[in-house]
Amino acid sequence: MADPVLSVTGLTKRFGAIEACSDVSLDLHAGEIHALIGPNGAGKSTLIAQIAGGLRPDAGSIRFLGRDVTALDTVARARLGLGRSFQVSAVVPDYSVVENVMLALHGRDRTAFRPFGHAFGKRALTEEARAHAARTHLSDRLNVPARSLAHGERRRLELAMALALRPRAFLLDEPMAGLGQEGAAELTALLSDLRDEAPILLVEHDMDAVFALADRISVLVYGRILATGTPDEIRADPQVRAAYLGDEVPA
Amino acid sequence: MIPERVFNWAVWGGLLAFALLAEALGETYWLTLAARAAIFAIAGVGLNLALGNGGLISFGHAAFFGVGGYAVGILATHAQTYTPLFGLIEGTQSMPVTWSVAIVAGALAALVIGALSLRTSGAYFIMITLAFGQMFYYFAVTWSAYGGEDGMSIYVRGGFPGLNTLDPLHFFGLSFAVLTLVLLLVRMIDRSPFGLALNAVRQSPARVETVGISPRRLRLAAFVVSGAITALAGALFADLNRYVSPAMFSWTISGEIMIFVILGGVARLMGPVVGALVFVALEELLGGLSDYWHIWLGVLLLLIVLFARGGITGALTREARRG
Repeated sequence: MADPVLSVTGLTKRFGAIEACSDVSLDLHAGEIHALIGPNGAGKSTLIAQIAGGLRPDAGSIRFLGRDVTALDTVARARLGLGRSFQVSAVVPDYSVVENVMLALHGRDRTAFRPFGHAFGKRALTEEARAHAARTHLSDRLNVPARSLAHGERRRLELAMALALRPRAFLLDEPMAGLGQEGAAELTALLSDLRDEAPILLVEHDMDAVFALADRISVLVYGRILATGTPDEIRADPQVRAAYLGDEVPA
Repeated sequence: MIPERVFNWAVWGGLLAFALLAEALGETYWLTLAARAAIFAIAGVGLNLALGNGGLISFGHAAFFGVGGYAVGILATHAQTYTPLFGLIEGTQSMPVTWSVAIVAGALAALVIGALSLRTSGAYFIMITLAFGQMFYYFAVTWSAYGGEDGMSIYVRGGFPGLNTLDPLHFFGLSFAVLTLVLLLVRMIDRSPFGLALNAVRQSPARVETVGISPRRLRLAAFVVSGAITALAGALFADLNRYVSPAMFSWTISGEIMIFVILGGVARLMGPVVGALVFVALEELLGGLSDYWHIWLGVLLLLIVLFARGGITGALTREARRG
């Protein structure tokens, strides 16, 4: 198998006496959706924060596209192509859909420090922003401020912004959170298409979505990886059933 | 309710018309007032870039105002005494030169203050910028080479090629032209990619970070431009009064610049201009009646903050800023 796009080795993070993340290793390969599941407080957010760059690990390393990025900050990792969305929707609330996507495009092109020329002055860039919005089914909401969007639409806007970065890997933190059944189904279809663009590390509580999407699943309990495998393997794993899944697994 | 564009032009044209009227009536004092308002407006426009666009509540912009003033004062002092600065540089009273020095000095001061202050946020940022302002103030008080507490007198106002700066109309015109250029600059910045990112960082720094833009560097860049503009206002203020003193560094100046912005409308292009005009008008109309005219300013400020979050501009205009 080719080198993984993202590779986490022996990641450990302590908060005082608590080991929120202990010796975690996992890989993300091209073309796959790798889901990370686990009960509340299992350390999923801590792990994601370390991968995204917001939190420094105490031990272990993170390699992205063959480069050790453990010492890089969030901005540098984003520039390398780590596209992230948040557990709590983080879009610029007063900006319209197209302005939000445009911000991401200027971030990607490193033109965000240019104090002259109109932000929407380049036609090709504006069209690209529209295209990303279209991809996430937001074409008819282009000029709506993000604060007025429905929850599901805001999620999709985040995804559009992540897409605009032309990422080499997606880091999605509970994209289904707070979505109704319909919204979740729509987003599931969207995410399924994205894996060919860039692999996805998906943290998610919605087990329907996880088992529908994931090529591989890692189960995190008390900061440790309990098991990693295909959905079928995970479903059949007695340890996982006992520790976490219980009756939640869809038959 | 009128469109903001119309309102902006009305304010700009109103100030110009007031000055021309004053000239026609031979009221040179009014012209000086108009120049004073224009200069305060420049300082406010500078602060607005940091405060309104960047969300940086700087309570130390008097530092930059004073740096600009002292740049002019120091160069003028050396020109007046024919003693070169550091034994090398000739003093000068040529405005293009003194302004340039003021802008560069203001930018450098903002770079240093910003780099240190931007490690903090919220109330700490307010306090640390205030502390830097006070440091500059006390330094100026003890700087006996340049007048210490007494400050410096500039015997003759600095000159500008082709103009007679001692003529109040010419000096107003100069101040008004600088204000107009600064407004155009800030409008250009506001619409640029940098403006898009800066206005975003105020709302959601985490989001800006994940698209690969460093919020701290954005804010620092805005702070430096903001400081440079306010320093330019300080330079004009020094020539207006032909006098520079530590009072320019006083925290009350920082407060007044902030009042221009809040009164007129935070993050509105013409907000600080409106604020400065109202401030100077109140100072003139009420200041003559009582030394305690600030009470009425306080009442007005309170009403604005409570009932019109967009300041006077927001109350009188429609048109969302963005979106």
